[in-house]
Amino acid sequence: MSEILEKYKWIGPIIEKMDRDLKRIFMKNFRMRDKNFFPEGDYKADIKNLVNCMLCPNMCRFDCGTLQTSLTETMSPAYKARIGYYLTIGLIDPMKKENQDFINLMYKCTNEENCKIWCPFEFSVVSLLETVREDLNDKNLMPDYCKQQIDKLNNTNTIEEYNIYRTYTEKGIENIETDGNDEVFYYIGCESMKFPEVIKANIEILKKAGIKFSTNLDSKICCGGPAFNIREMETANKFAMKNKELIEATGAKTIISDCPGCILTLSNRYEKLGVKIEKQIIHIVQFFKKLIDDGKLSFKNKIPEEFRKITIHDPCLIARNLKDTESIRFILNRIPDLEIFEPLYNKDYVHCCGWSGTNHWADRDLAIREARNRINELKDTGVNIFISACPLCELGLAYGIDENEKEKYKIMDISELIIRIL
Amino acid sequence: MVYISIAKNYKIFLIILLLYKKILMFMDLKEFELIYKQNRCEIKDKKNIETRLKGIVGKNNISTKKIDLLAYSKDTSLIGFNWTLQGKIAGLPDFITWPETEEQISEILKLANREKIPVIPYGEGSGVVGGAIPVYGGIIIDMKKFNNILEINDKNLTVTAQTGINGMNLERYLNARGYTTGHIPQSLYISSLGGWIAHRAAGQFSTKYGKIEDIILGMEVILPQGKIVKFKTISRASTGPQFDKLFIGCEGTLGIITKATLKIWPYPETRALISYAFPTFEDSLEATRQILRQQIYPAVIRIYDADETFRHFDHIEKAKNKVMVVFVCEGIKSLVNLEKAITMDTCEKNNGVACGEEPVEHWFETRFRVTETSLSPTLKTVFDTIEIEILWDKAADLYHSVITTTKKIKGLIFITAHVSHFYPNGVGFYFSFAGIAPKEKTDLEFYQEVWNTVIKAVEDCGGSFGHHHGVGINRSKWMPVEWGVSFDTIKQIKNLLDPNNILNPGKIYENLWKNGDEK
Repeated sequence: MSEILEKYKWIGPIIEKMDRDLKRIFMKNFRMRDKNFFPEGDYKADIKNLVNCMLCPNMCRFDCGTLQTSLTETMSPAYKARIGYYLTIGLIDPMKKENQDFINLMYKCTNEENCKIWCPFEFSVVSLLETVREDLNDKNLMPDYCKQQIDKLNNTNTIEEYNIYRTYTEKGIENIETDGNDEVFYYIGCESMKFPEVIKANIEILKKAGIKFSTNLDSKICCGGPAFNIREMETANKFAMKNKELIEATGAKTIISDCPGCILTLSNRYEKLGVKIEKQIIHIVQFFKKLIDDGKLSFKNKIPEEFRKITIHDPCLIARNLKDTESIRFILNRIPDLEIFEPLYNKDYVHCCGWSGTNHWADRDLAIREARNRINELKDTGVNIFISACPLCELGLAYGIDENEKEKYKIMDISELIIRIL
Repeated sequence: MVYISIAKNYKIFLIILLLYKKILMFMDLKEFELIYKQNRCEIKDKKNIETRLKGIVGKNNISTKKIDLLAYSKDTSLIGFNWTLQGKIAGLPDFITWPETEEQISEILKLANREKIPVIPYGEGSGVVGGAIPVYGGIIIDMKKFNNILEINDKNLTVTAQTGINGMNLERYLNARGYTTGHIPQSLYISSLGGWIAHRAAGQFSTKYGKIEDIILGMEVILPQGKIVKFKTISRASTGPQFDKLFIGCEGTLGIITKATLKIWPYPETRALISYAFPTFEDSLEATRQILRQQIYPAVIRIYDADETFRHFDHIEKAKNKVMVVFVCEGIKSLVNLEKAITMDTCEKNNGVACGEEPVEHWFETRFRVTETSLSPTLKTVFDTIEIEILWDKAADLYHSVITTTKKIKGLIFITAHVSHFYPNGVGFYFSFAGIAPKEKTDLEFYQEVWNTVIKAVEDCGGSFGHHHGVGINRSKWMPVEWGVSFDTIKQIKNLLDPNNILNPGKIYENLWKNGDEK
């Protein structure tokens, strides 16, 4: 209320000049503002901002990944908020089977949060949709594709049908168990396990820099990020508690991860649940930057000719959530002879790989098309190697490359480049 | 007597009920109250039409799903935000299509002509006068899949693009390559190239770069009966009546524009930010008139009346109780320096007090941060903006006339203005109003009363009722007044091109706001 009063203080003299009846009605409307449009009963939906968003002229629409990919009004951010509001107040009855499309819309977002850059209210649409998802969960209306993810988390402790961490031996990944006295704990993301070469590279880089660290893959579990996206808070809480215990057992003061989603979950999301891990939690590129700063990591070899030109794809979670677009560039700029190319949409304005959030479960085809759009933007730089630092990006972007171009274009993690010049 | 009266009322009640049921029979989304519900088109065999549309655009490019129909039930008319909050919808389409080729659009139009089904072109839905509302139902042609930028020609200084492209995405693409169209409306983030052309748009930087009709050099248009017409890209020509210009401002009633070639400019080398506070509105008008008379064209000029100066520049000490004017001059350094010097000198000669760059920076920071649309409906107030044109000699009179007459409306909370567009011969005013409908009126009736009062005052002063938002539903009542006898000829042209009146009906040529009553 005070924000509104400050911003709209110019209305003060106008109110003064109103005739008595009009003033009375205006002031009543002002006092009753929330009551008039807020539903009764218990709900978790952020009604205030859903209303702010649905009554906005869609100022972020041009940069919304799902809208710009689907090219339908249905996917516009303000419309999603409008449906969220209608589902909450019951104007669209979420219990009716015929309204399943409306429920599904609440999950068709990639969490990329470009919208937040342009939002006059400075929120992201997904932060609103998540509150609607909580209410849907309370009504037992979680879509099946989300239930499947929760089941996987509960059955395998990972986001796969099986415990992907237990595959490290067959993938040739070295497991380093903690002795309870580590300098660093390398927190490997479940999605990263699909890229064993990246993990191997990271382990080798850490070893060469002389870091005492562990990976604890025998007891490692998912961070619970998918449960946070779906807003299944019981599962989310369970994973937060388990991870806190596992991390604290390592004795490490610094936790590094190759997955920016894990960083977000271990820090901000756990904290919001009241689970605070008293460690420095940073992305591995931020740690590599520090190693270079400290003189512990340097690049001695020449970059092989075939890797001399690269284009950067900023992971949106590093760029916009960790607000760090510098670390990746700091590292790459120290690689002798490397030519760095930037796509039109980069750094804070990066476009999503398509594979974040819940959309790739709700609408896989749309997610693949979004990945294809991003690949086209990267291709526009004229370079064939795309460098990122997020397993989800590397997974998503791969879907965006046509089968007949898989040989031509290469998606690499930054560690895979570093390892070639150590 | 009492029984007769009851019987009569009962009959009326039954008739209303039957009519309502008839409407509902054709309507999905029954949970929403429909505003424009009269004379909806009757589609006898919807399934059959759907099948034929699928045959044209493919099964993935058509929808009759509730979730899609609801998404296309509104544009950005500000009263529509009140309806959104109240669970009402302006119009309800029957089919949504997303064609990908000109030929598909042509075939949809041919089908619509055969079946007499309205077709409503839809870009980004940012119009504020009801232009994209499917008032009689029908087929939405969403142009979003026409979003390619086809060519930049540096030598000719042109860009060719499909018209479904979002304005900001076109501008960002050009900026990255060192160009700009100079067409920067406040709706840049939310509007499309096609929408700009259809509604004869004007941007905030248009004093230098021109309005959309000055910027467009060539177009491709699909006529209402499906004929695809390609107009040459020309810098200028003397080749008979300029038929192509007919489609700039046709609001999707005479054709669907699919491709356009626009002027572009090298991105400005430098910018000068200038602001002055004037003791009176008249002083500010006079200063800007003299600047333009000297053939100085700042890209941006904006005069804020005393109320709007208080609203936006309360933090600027020198602007207290004054009229603020902001200027942006841009281009090559030497020219900008000259424009800046003449602009400042002219302002000072007309009692202006220099306020520095800060007010202009404030304008740059806030011009796209729209929050009023989100607040107003929650206070049950009706809020809108009305932009109009007037020549210089009547400009001040018109301003005072509109403000004075509109303030008399019961329920009006405020009406203020800024001057947003400038020519050596006249200006474009931008009025903003808010009010609360009195008990005896609906929101729409109150809204119509304000609109009609403002427009009547404008017409009485000899101005034009619209500067750059178009006619749509909101202004169609005033078309005969604006155009006089030539309005009949305009209608004949519409009839010639669109004899079945299938293309965006209910706008421009018809008045849905008869007598100011809600229809």
